[in-house]
Amino acid sequence: MKQLLLRPGVAIALATLAAVSPQVFAASHREAPITALDQKADITDWFAFVSPEHPDRVVMILDVDPFLEPSNGPNYFPFDPGILYEMKIDNNHDGHPDVTFQFRFQTTIGQPGVFTGFVGNLAGIPPITALSGPGAAGLSLSQTYTVTMVMASGQTTNLGAGQTLYAVPTNVGPRTMPNYPALMQQGVYSLTSDARVFAGTIADPFFIDLGAAFDSLNFRQAAGGGVLSAAVDADDHNNYAPNTLAGYNVNTIVLEVPITWLTSDGQTHTAGDKQAVIGTWGTTSRQQTNVVPGFGEIGTTWAQVQRMGNPLINELIIGTGSKDKFSTDDPWHDSQFAGFFLNPLLATIFSSIGIPVPSGPRTDLLPLVQYQAPICPGCGPGDAGPIADLLRLNTGIPPTAAANVKRLAVLAGDFGGFPNGRRLTDDVVDIAARCVAGILVSATKYGTPIGDGVNTPAVAPSATFPFVAPANSGRNSAHDAGPGLPGCPVLTGSICPVN
Amino acid sequence: MNRLFLFLLVLTCLSSMVHAETPAEAGIRVAEAQIAKSPDAYQYYNDLALALARRARETCDAWYYRKAGEALARSFAIAPENFDGLKVRTRVLLGQHEFAKALDLATRLNKQTPDDIVIYGYLAEASEELGNYKEAATAAQWMLRIRPGNAAGLAVAGELREVFGYIAPAMEVTRMAYDLTPGQETQTRAELLVRMARLNLLAGDVPKAENYAITALDVFPGYPDGLAALAEVRTAQQRYDEAVILQRKRCDEAPRAAHLYALGEALTRAGQKAEANAVFAEFERKALAESDKGDNANRELIAWYIDFANRPADALRIAEKEIARRHDVFTIDSYAWALAATGDLPRASLEIQKAVATGVKDPQILRHAAAIARRLGTTAGNMGELFGGQGK
Repeated sequence: MKQLLLRPGVAIALATLAAVSPQVFAASHREAPITALDQKADITDWFAFVSPEHPDRVVMILDVDPFLEPSNGPNYFPFDPGILYEMKIDNNHDGHPDVTFQFRFQTTIGQPGVFTGFVGNLAGIPPITALSGPGAAGLSLSQTYTVTMVMASGQTTNLGAGQTLYAVPTNVGPRTMPNYPALMQQGVYSLTSDARVFAGTIADPFFIDLGAAFDSLNFRQAAGGGVLSAAVDADDHNNYAPNTLAGYNVNTIVLEVPITWLTSDGQTHTAGDKQAVIGTWGTTSRQQTNVVPGFGEIGTTWAQVQRMGNPLINELIIGTGSKDKFSTDDPWHDSQFAGFFLNPLLATIFSSIGIPVPSGPRTDLLPLVQYQAPICPGCGPGDAGPIADLLRLNTGIPPTAAANVKRLAVLAGDFGGFPNGRRLTDDVVDIAARCVAGILVSATKYGTPIGDGVNTPAVAPSATFPFVAPANSGRNSAHDAGPGLPGCPVLTGSICPVN
Repeated sequence: MNRLFLFLLVLTCLSSMVHAETPAEAGIRVAEAQIAKSPDAYQYYNDLALALARRARETCDAWYYRKAGEALARSFAIAPENFDGLKVRTRVLLGQHEFAKALDLATRLNKQTPDDIVIYGYLAEASEELGNYKEAATAAQWMLRIRPGNAAGLAVAGELREVFGYIAPAMEVTRMAYDLTPGQETQTRAELLVRMARLNLLAGDVPKAENYAITALDVFPGYPDGLAALAEVRTAQQRYDEAVILQRKRCDEAPRAAHLYALGEALTRAGQKAEANAVFAEFERKALAESDKGDNANRELIAWYIDFANRPADALRIAEKEIARRHDVFTIDSYAWALAATGDLPRASLEIQKAVATGVKDPQILRHAAAIARRLGTTAGNMGELFGGQGK
């Protein structure tokens, strides 16, 4: 007698189960639901620029883990050993990575009985003055990491050159870490050949009036209400509105490598040569459960949590119902998001408040997502490659001298910055907004000086590697750049406006 | 006899428990109250439709899907093509076994909002029912990629792992989905418990299957699928009289054609052939009446024509109709069995190979594969290798 084993169809109360699943909805700081859920994997910023110290090298910076309150102990802000952090480079213009740098972290608890991860100048424990060995006794929680270069062929190279690489902890305060800048400098490592690396907690270099931006573009009237005066627009060094990120830290990985490691033929090229142009992006990935074979055996594989190429794409361009798909998908699939690029909603919003914008489809925005002039003057019509959100960098354009760096970069005639790569001081909020408003079509017709009045980072970047600014002190720093607080030095009493 | 008496006593106790409002009933009540207050708000009609669809799952009564369709019509009259309404419509189409239509609609909604894991779930479910397993797995993988560890994604993963023959891994993720489901979601918890019962039966662990099935009925008393699961357990334990009682109760709760077939089978096993014949006669009438609809009992009809009625030509006629609609492993199995019954063993073999190749561990499919192989002069073991079965 046979038995017809019960299998009444696969239907399950999906809507119910989905509703009970753990999910929370919240600048690239928390821009998509998936990264609002997974702060450690949240990429806040991605930078790539030709090194001002060594014009034959490229610097890439991957910032993760937003809004780190400097005083928030006891364990502060370790990197997540469960995350695979990657920097990716496309050098043949197909949107796929040809060179990848992978970073994995490990955590060690040196003194499990101590109540905090970092202690110094207390109870006989000397101050923390080193990342390892003498002077590091108080570093109960320490992290080491590896750097691996992976070529498209699968060839892998450990770049550590036999060293143990330590991540620099946050700046706990002067008693524990009396010379934090010196401690930070110990986290700079020379790798194989001419590469250098740094990982650790730093002052967040991003700058924006975030509160005003997300209050439905309610920018401060004192700073022009979203349209800057000529004087404010021309000021590359001062803020006229509160920088929300001031006083917060972020975790970073900074890598400097020879340009010849990145180009398709291992050579340097002049700016007019298409081979000089690379596409770059950063990713974070976690292990995921595989449903069935075809995605690997039953078990786990790495699955991307987030990626970032151009700044603000996911925040300002991608629709809310597509942000997680965008975060988790690969750039060579970005044609699925072409509608967002070619008809950005933000342009419609600008138009609704009286800012002139060109009509769609906005092919003028394609140079941000394809290999085209002006970033790739050597690219012909057949060289554009697929629509892919990559931060493109023309390695043949030399770095701009510090005195000539403009916050508006290419829009101000400074071709060393965004959207030709991105430097720490590039005001990508204003640049991106103006691009969406159509400045690339006509500066005369669509050149409204849109801006939030925040023109510069809270802490000036360093002129030397790793370029990023040291972490804000847990004991001594404050978020003193909010509305009605200091942070706008050229205004009365240095007080930033509320309205 | 004592055991049967005790069993009846327990079943009576379970049945006589005070009927608490189910999650779907609560949803219907709340939505109707909201509609009474705000009759022009389309969202409340969507809420009502979703609650009705859930009630259909609680009761196995397709009438609720029709009522859900009516609620959706009101919603779309106020807000044509509203997104939430279209999502619920997809749910209703799946419930009505209109899988191709559900897949089309889910695909359209997915392009519109690719972050919505419920829509990926609908894509997975429709694809799996149609036999598009690769597409189903891709959609399920996106569910888990966008929301790692979400209960719906784990539940869908469990279904797919079962099809691919990964029984223990299927249990693992189904259990995880169950653990993530709140206690008040009684029907959903019962549904997951029924799945775990089924998986344990597949693994040959009858005591565990029994525990899960009993728990399902404890969580959601009178749940038709729970009754069927426990009946299967009793069959495995050769407690055929109890299986009959459970199947009869299931038919009382939800007199569907497929349920009648299961009752007829149980009666046959219990040696009550006269009553079985009467039930099968009613089953055939009902099954034929719904044979051209999406929600049908065609697989059961095919099985009955072959295994009980000796009408292979009728079986093949129904099987050809069903295989034109979907090619999931169970439909393929029915089709292959009908081909074999009509003597077309080469084609039967080719078809059953497709099902076995997934790695599926369903005992009926494997039995049919073995029987076809025997009649073709090979062995079931060789068939497995020949078919490239990959299940674990």
